[in-house]
Amino acid sequence: MAEQCILVIGGGISGLTAAIEAAEAGYDVCIVEKNPYLGGRVAQLNKYFPKLCPPVCGLEINYRRIKENAKVKFYTMAQVESVTAREGSYDVTVKVAPRYINDRCVSCDACAQACPAERQDDFNFGMSKTTAAYLPFDQAYPMRYVIDAANCKDGCMQKCKEACKYGAVELDMKPETVKINASAIVVATGWDPYDISKADNLGMGKVKNVITNMMMERLAAPNGPTAGRILRPSDGKEPKKVAFVQCAGSRDENHLSYCSYICCMASLKQTTYLKEQYPDATADIFYIDIRTPGRYEKFYWKVRDMEGVSFTKGKVARVENTEGDDVLVTLEDVLSGKKVRMAFDMVVLAAGMQSATRQNPLQLGINYTAEGMIVPSSLKPGIYAVGSSKSPVDVAKSVQDATGAALRSIQSAIKLLPAGGIR
Amino acid sequence: MSERILNPDLGFVKEVIKSGGESLKKCYQCATCSVVCNVTPDENPFPRKEMIQAQWGLKDELFRNPDIWLCHQCSDCTAYCPRGAKPGEVLNAIRKMSLQEFSVPGFLARMVNQPVFLLLLLAVPLAALLASGAGHVPAGPVEFGKPGGFLFSLKYIDPLFTSVAVLALLSLFLGIRKYWSAMSEGQSSSGKSPATDISLGTAIKETVKEILAHKRFDKCETTKGRSTAHKLVFYSFIGLFITTVLAFGKVILEPNGGYLAYLGHPVNVSASLLTGLVVVYKIIGNISAAALIIGILLVMGNRMKNAKKAGLGSYYDWLFISLVAGLGITGLLAELLRVGNMPAAYPVYVVHLCFVFFLFAYAPFSKMAHMFYRATAMVFEKKSGKA
Repeated sequence: MAEQCILVIGGGISGLTAAIEAAEAGYDVCIVEKNPYLGGRVAQLNKYFPKLCPPVCGLEINYRRIKENAKVKFYTMAQVESVTAREGSYDVTVKVAPRYINDRCVSCDACAQACPAERQDDFNFGMSKTTAAYLPFDQAYPMRYVIDAANCKDGCMQKCKEACKYGAVELDMKPETVKINASAIVVATGWDPYDISKADNLGMGKVKNVITNMMMERLAAPNGPTAGRILRPSDGKEPKKVAFVQCAGSRDENHLSYCSYICCMASLKQTTYLKEQYPDATADIFYIDIRTPGRYEKFYWKVRDMEGVSFTKGKVARVENTEGDDVLVTLEDVLSGKKVRMAFDMVVLAAGMQSATRQNPLQLGINYTAEGMIVPSSLKPGIYAVGSSKSPVDVAKSVQDATGAALRSIQSAIKLLPAGGIR
Repeated sequence: MSERILNPDLGFVKEVIKSGGESLKKCYQCATCSVVCNVTPDENPFPRKEMIQAQWGLKDELFRNPDIWLCHQCSDCTAYCPRGAKPGEVLNAIRKMSLQEFSVPGFLARMVNQPVFLLLLLAVPLAALLASGAGHVPAGPVEFGKPGGFLFSLKYIDPLFTSVAVLALLSLFLGIRKYWSAMSEGQSSSGKSPATDISLGTAIKETVKEILAHKRFDKCETTKGRSTAHKLVFYSFIGLFITTVLAFGKVILEPNGGYLAYLGHPVNVSASLLTGLVVVYKIIGNISAAALIIGILLVMGNRMKNAKKAGLGSYYDWLFISLVAGLGITGLLAELLRVGNMPAAYPVYVVHLCFVFFLFAYAPFSKMAHMFYRATAMVFEKKSGKA
């Protein structure tokens, strides 16, 4: 028997918001999330701009709302396999990958301690490792371990099983197929950081102390690989001279032709992380234009006036290794018309965002832009796209968008919006 | 900084766009180009500033600067440009326009760079050659240079080509002089005092060394193969120049039918010296011809291959490339036909001479002039201590 619900694809901040708003209005909702946890990219952030509060607070409230609401059902490690339209609704097949740990898990960490194998921690962008039996992060929801089977072979899983007193490790867990009959679909697939190593002049992956803005979030986050201390990757030194390279991949026809909207604010925010930890540190922000839309301008003024923070108009177009693992950046200071070479302890590339549908397009008969973003006008009746699947946006706008989509999907669910209705 | 009034020349902006710089207005001044460019100086690097000068129609700023010619159009800027503004192509268009600005008489530069005048310009040497008797095919074995051969029956050919060469050199000299004083003016108006410790002679010597080694060309990354192709064409031109001088020398000296003999002042040159001369210039000439053809075909191939990253180029580029290719191919073909004793060698040779005429008579106005203007810019750069 198929599950009857409003389907939300993606359990990040947009998907959670749409799901909870619809469920609290009394509608059954199913969330399909590909990660083993809910919260998406927001879970990886250290702080939100412009208020500079930690996102986990907001996420925890959402987790609680889900826990308390029987109308929200969610599948983690799950992906939509197929969608077919039927009489004003959609038949959806969802594949759920085995987690190898069932709901008896109490997160005691015994399996992880016993696990002999390791894996790259993708939650921390490879800056740390976990054992192959792991909790995605300390406040993960569901609070349940996962076994990375690809990295846990030849009796490795058996060791995890033996360590578990609660019988939570299930070695023979199989992929499952879930059938859903969706009265509406909210596409909240979110975004991926653009792979900035494709810009061969910016040094990502080649120059030791070049990191992305998302890596900076993890470095500064208390639950990150350095327990919240900003340390440069090569030698763990405290970076006292940091460069922020704006438009790393964005506004660039060779990479992402659009402005990623959040990177200026992200770098300004990360400047405050740096100055908070190391008041004597200097931050150099190299930009084409500082784009802090709407009221964010005030945040720009605040950071601009901080001591040791300087702004230089000119795009960094060369990043190289130099002595002592330092990083040499080259740019033309446009206002003085001079080529400038400066060495930094660490360089943060303000890498742009790209819609997750660029790598993993959904088979929904949707049109995508050349860069993989959903073209909203191409969506079929009853299907709504929210947040960063359509255009780069910040959290606040995603939440607003998702709330609106919750209402639209309710209207579809009660057939106020028949086929061909308003989208 | 004191107040400065800019006078944008909108006509100039339109002209740049029309001349192959149609992407000009896409530039948003991020300065990626100035950084990825390996041939630009650190102080006032190009081409970012040229892009805004061109957008604003600041013609004088552009023309009074060595930078537009210091650019070797490596196209690293174009490949990395985030906006597809193609700074390399824009600067190329501006270079073409600066030829029109400085060359004397300027109208010829405008004609040379407009396809509508191509046939007219080609008709000039053809008419001159036909008037000189090129329509007449001599009887007997096919011969060009020997006394009594084809060339000797063209009555006005040598005076014509010589005087055209002299005029072209004069025109080049005047153009270059205008460019030099414009650059000096530009420098004194920008308030930077020229460095005086480098003499003009040293600057020229250093520039020649640099050009011979193609040092700057070798710094290009996006269009790497260009340096080799350009070296082949460049050195083959030198080789062909030497060939021409030696051959001309022989024609003058020859006791039997040479110019001096004809004028009643025969010189006593040993036959073995003349034979040696012929052997030497034939070797140099043939090697150079082969290098020229290979080089120019490589130039064409590179342009096609890099078209996506660097742009295909404009009429200004392709006219020059086609002329050089035509020169090499007709030259070789005429030689082969002559060796095969086929009378078709004569018309082919006439076409070849038309190419030679076109290339040299119009050198001050076509892309051929690039070597002089670029060399001048390099000398100026060194002399002013900018490098």
